[in-house]
Parts: sequence; C-alpha cells; structure tokens
Amino acid sequence: MLAYVIRRLLHTILVVFVISLIIFFSVRLTGDPVSVMFSAGEPSKEAIAELRSNLGLDKPLAIQYGIFLKGLLTLDFGESFRSGMPVGTLIFERLWATIALALGGIFVAILIAFPVGILSAVKRGTGVDFFGRIFSLIGISFPNFWLGIMLILVFSVQLQWLPSSGFESIKHLILPSITLGMILSGILARLVRSSMLEVLNQQYISTAKSKGISEWSVIIKHGFRNALLPTVTFLGMQFGSLLGGTVIVEQVFSWPGIGRLIIDAINQRDYPVIQGGVIFLAIIMVVVNLLVDLSYSLIDPRIKAGRGSQ
Amino acid sequence: MVSKIMEVKNLQVGINHDNRDVAIVNGISFHLNKGETLGIVGESGCGKSMTSLSLMGLLPPGVRWQDGDIQVDKLQFKNFKNKDWRKVRGKKISMIFQEPMSSLNPVYTVGDQIMEMVLNHENVSKKLARVRALEMLHLVGIPRPNQVLDEYPHQLSGGMRQRIMIAIALSCNPEILIADEPTTALDVTIQAQILELMKKIQNQLHMSIVLITHDLGVVAEMCDRVVVMYAGEIVEVAQIVNLFDSPKHPYTQGLLKSLPDINVQKEYLSSIPGVVPAPGNMPIGCRFAPRCPMAHERCKEAPPLLTTSDGSEVQCWLYDDGAEKEEIR
Repeated sequence: MLAYVIRRLLHTILVVFVISLIIFFSVRLTGDPVSVMFSAGEPSKEAIAELRSNLGLDKPLAIQYGIFLKGLLTLDFGESFRSGMPVGTLIFERLWATIALALGGIFVAILIAFPVGILSAVKRGTGVDFFGRIFSLIGISFPNFWLGIMLILVFSVQLQWLPSSGFESIKHLILPSITLGMILSGILARLVRSSMLEVLNQQYISTAKSKGISEWSVIIKHGFRNALLPTVTFLGMQFGSLLGGTVIVEQVFSWPGIGRLIIDAINQRDYPVIQGGVIFLAIIMVVVNLLVDLSYSLIDPRIKAGRGSQ
Repeated sequence: MVSKIMEVKNLQVGINHDNRDVAIVNGISFHLNKGETLGIVGESGCGKSMTSLSLMGLLPPGVRWQDGDIQVDKLQFKNFKNKDWRKVRGKKISMIFQEPMSSLNPVYTVGDQIMEMVLNHENVSKKLARVRALEMLHLVGIPRPNQVLDEYPHQLSGGMRQRIMIAIALSCNPEILIADEPTTALDVTIQAQILELMKKIQNQLHMSIVLITHDLGVVAEMCDRVVVMYAGEIVEVAQIVNLFDSPKHPYTQGLLKSLPDINVQKEYLSSIPGVVPAPGNMPIGCRFAPRCPMAHERCKEAPPLLTTSDGSEVQCWLYDDGAEKEEIR
C-alpha cells in the first residue's frame, strides 16, 4: 500500500515536469506581455528594454525555463508581472473559495442525483423513471450561465434571500453550488441509474430478496453499495476538473476562485500566474485521482490498491 | 404417517402479452411431504425455475401469478402482500441458487451475510447472531470457520461459496429448502460433496427439500419422489424407483434413454427430436405430441393426469382405462 502510494507520487513528478514544459512554451505563444503593460501612450525603447530585463524576459528561453524549474523545486512559482505578489500567495488566497465551490457543487449534485438515479432504476419503465430521465436531460442541456443568472434573478433580485456575488459567508455559496450541482447532477443521475440497473440484475440481489429483508434494504444495502464504484470514479474526476473549470460560474457570481485568477492572468499575459496556476491544478488533479483509486479498496474488498487493480 | 407440508394447487404463472395471459407455468398441482426430497426435472424452458420462484414470491418483473394457490401449513400464498412474503422468505422457506460464484454479495463478509438473515428474522443481539453464524459454518463443514466468518466471498472457491449459501439459507431453520440447480455450476467431485452435505443436514434438521434439476443422476442420488415437467405442465409424478424402473410418459422415457448406460456401448446417445415449444405458441391437445414417437389421433385432445397401478401419475392417453401397458417401452 505505502509502496503503491510512493510509486504514484513519483508518477506525479513526471506528470508535473511534462506539464511544466507544455505550459511554459505555450504561454509564450500568446504574445508579448510587455506590450500590454503600458497603459497610456507609446513607451520609449529604453522603457521597454528595462521592463523586459526586470521581468527576466531578456534572457534566452532555455535559461528562463531553467529558472522556472528551479523555482518549482523549491515550490516558488515566481511573482506576478502585474501586482508583484508571489504567485503562491495569489493561488492560496483563492484556493479556499475554489475548493468550497467544487465541494458545494458536488454536494448538491449528490443530493439530487442519487435519489433520482436510484428511483429511476428501481421504477424502471414507469412514470418515475420517465421524469428522472427528463430531469437528467434538462440538467445536461442547461447552459450553466443561464441557470446562474436565473437563480440570481429569482433569489437575489426578486426575493432578496441570498447574495448574488462574492464569497463572504456560507450563504454566498448556495446559489453557485446549485448552479454547478444542477449541471453535474444530470450526468450523475444517468450514471447512477445505469449502474444500479446493472447491479439489480445480479444474482446476489435475488439472494438478498430471498432472505426476506425489506425492499429498500435490498436496494440500498445490497444494490447501491455495489453501484457506488463507477460513481466515485466519476465524482473524483469531476472534482479535479471543477477546481479549474468553473470559470463561467465564477464569472457569473464574481467568485474569487482560481479559474478566474487564471483567466485574468491569460488576458494580461501574466506568465508566472498562468504557469503557477496550471501546475498547481495539475498537482491537485493527480492527487485527487490517487485518493479516488485508494478509496476503491474501501468500497470493494476485491480491489487491493496496487495489486493489479482494474 | 407422512404429512403434507406444502400443497401447490392449479398454479398458473405467466406474462401478459398483447392483453392476453400467456402461461409459462400452466395450472400445475403437486405436494411436498414432510422430510422428503422432491425433484422437479425437465429441459431448459419447461417452467421449473418459474415454479420454484413462485414458491418464494420472487417472480421476475413482468411475470405474474395468474391463478391457483400454494399452501404451507395454514398459510395461503395467493393473497400475500410483500410484507407477508418477507416473513416466509428465509424463515419458512429458503432458497439456494445455481450460481454460487455470483449469489453472494461481493462487498460484505461471509459473517455479515449470514448474520443479516438471522437478525432479520429473530430477535437476537448481534453477538448471538454471530455465534449462530459460526455454528452454521461448522454445520456446513467450512474449514477454519473463525477466519472465514470475516472473509469476503471472492476469497473462497465455488464449492465453499455454495456451502456458505446453504449456511445462510438454513440459518433460521426453515421447514422447506428450495434448491434451484444447486450443483450445476460445480465440478463433479464438489457436486457430490454438496449433495452429501444437503442430505446430511436434511436428516439433522428434518426439513423438506424441493430440488430443481435437469440432471437425472442428481435426482437418483437425492430424491424420494419426482415431478417431471414439460412445457409448463406436469407430465408425470412418480416415486423414484418407479421413475427409473418403469417410466410412464414418453417424455420421461425419452429423458432416460438419453442418459448414457455403462453396460451398453453406443456410438451416439439418443435424444428427443425437436425443442420445447415457446409459451404462447403451444400445440393444441397434448403439448408433447409433436415430439412424441407414440402420438396418435387422441393426442389432439389434452390428456388428464391419470393414476397408474403402481401409483405413478401420468398425463398421457396411453394410460387411459387404468391399464398399465408395460410393453410400451
């Protein structure tokens, strides 16, 4: 088990190295940061040259990459071109908001999708199943910016129950979480339904029924527990991508998250922030994946982590 | 004196297709005596599994109980609600299935799965339920039962898993055990062990067994009486000796002829030509007539269940007049 975790963490180093290469060079294809940094008038040649040397952009690419890598080894992502703040600080300031939103979205998705998916599977072919599937379809096809705006209109503007932007309290978390969770729950409910249908056909479900235990005990204890595996895989992967991929929802709710930090940095060609942000998300993604893999052996005793798990 | 523990009366089970009832099991009647082993035999698709599932109220979705009744003690299953069935399942009647490899839930330990049954039916503490589970593992001959109690099904072989299934099924002392092809998926040597175990426990606990199988060897080994099913109907009911010594129905005779005989060298085994007709597309009259070597005019009319002189019941016109025609074989 421990050897497995260590091996996986060594993989992480390789992944981070490859990503550092890709992000370092692709970022430099977006254009010259210096050209967007002067706000008024035509800057003098000297001013440009001085700025470039201050930012370290006058050195050869290989040297710049070397400096970047060296920083990575000491967990130093450099300083923002714009604000001069350390990139690490910028990311960690926003990390909490991003994680809170991702967890909130997943929480809402689970709250909606588990009951809908399970009911759909159990009442297969009935009206309940029909509504469950329509719900999934709507969830999948909703544009999330539209849903977010509608929620703001109803709950913030009309009813004035909940705040519409920023992140100052738990209350601020509700609307963006619902927006994210609704979209996610559409896909999740489908996944739960299909894995439940597969499990409910298994012979051990007949065995459970033949014991005379209650129907819901059969469905939840014997059925759902077995249907959990694909669901956890999906949620783990979603959590990873939610950390960086909630840009639209973050925009709508003015959410101070990492997604917006990176988007702003791209607009301003703020190389260190882009590089640091992407590398950081990559590391989180790999770690979450590892945690998901480790959780398999808790859910299914047939899977032993590191011993040829499927 | 033998007494009946279960009586099945005119049981009809089937699906609803295009607004008409299509019977899979077509009005069958039989009984089970206390302490006996009753075999139900027949080819695949003859309705024997559906019969066994109706005894537990576990018909698959879409299949309905259409007519008839099953009576165990004073209980009549016909009007049973889900709640009533739950009291019967595992407590009065237990069932073991064909596939021991997939019959146990992979995510719970052996002990948990036995204890679940005990805790469900009996008002005992977890501790006592665990003691009972351990006793059951002893009873079904599991080596090192203390460890196995905390192991998962995937750590055990097929034969061991079928023993565990038996342990679960019998943990609440049911009066009737339904075994649906319990040895079909196992190696021959393991088959013999499981059958031996079932016999041993039957004697210890004085229970009755309904054994569903298509293996006449298993029938000869285990059963006291045999019900032969064909196309959703019972064609013959006989004591085990009579079934093998003087089979009455041409279908039963065909089944026995298709067994290899160690004393006769044959290049090919004989088989019954044709296949079991599909429900909803049954021949009029005797359902076996199209495959029967002895079919004649009268078979266009459905034959009744007739009793022959040695006590066998047979659904065939050849035995009308009560006269047994020994030479027909």
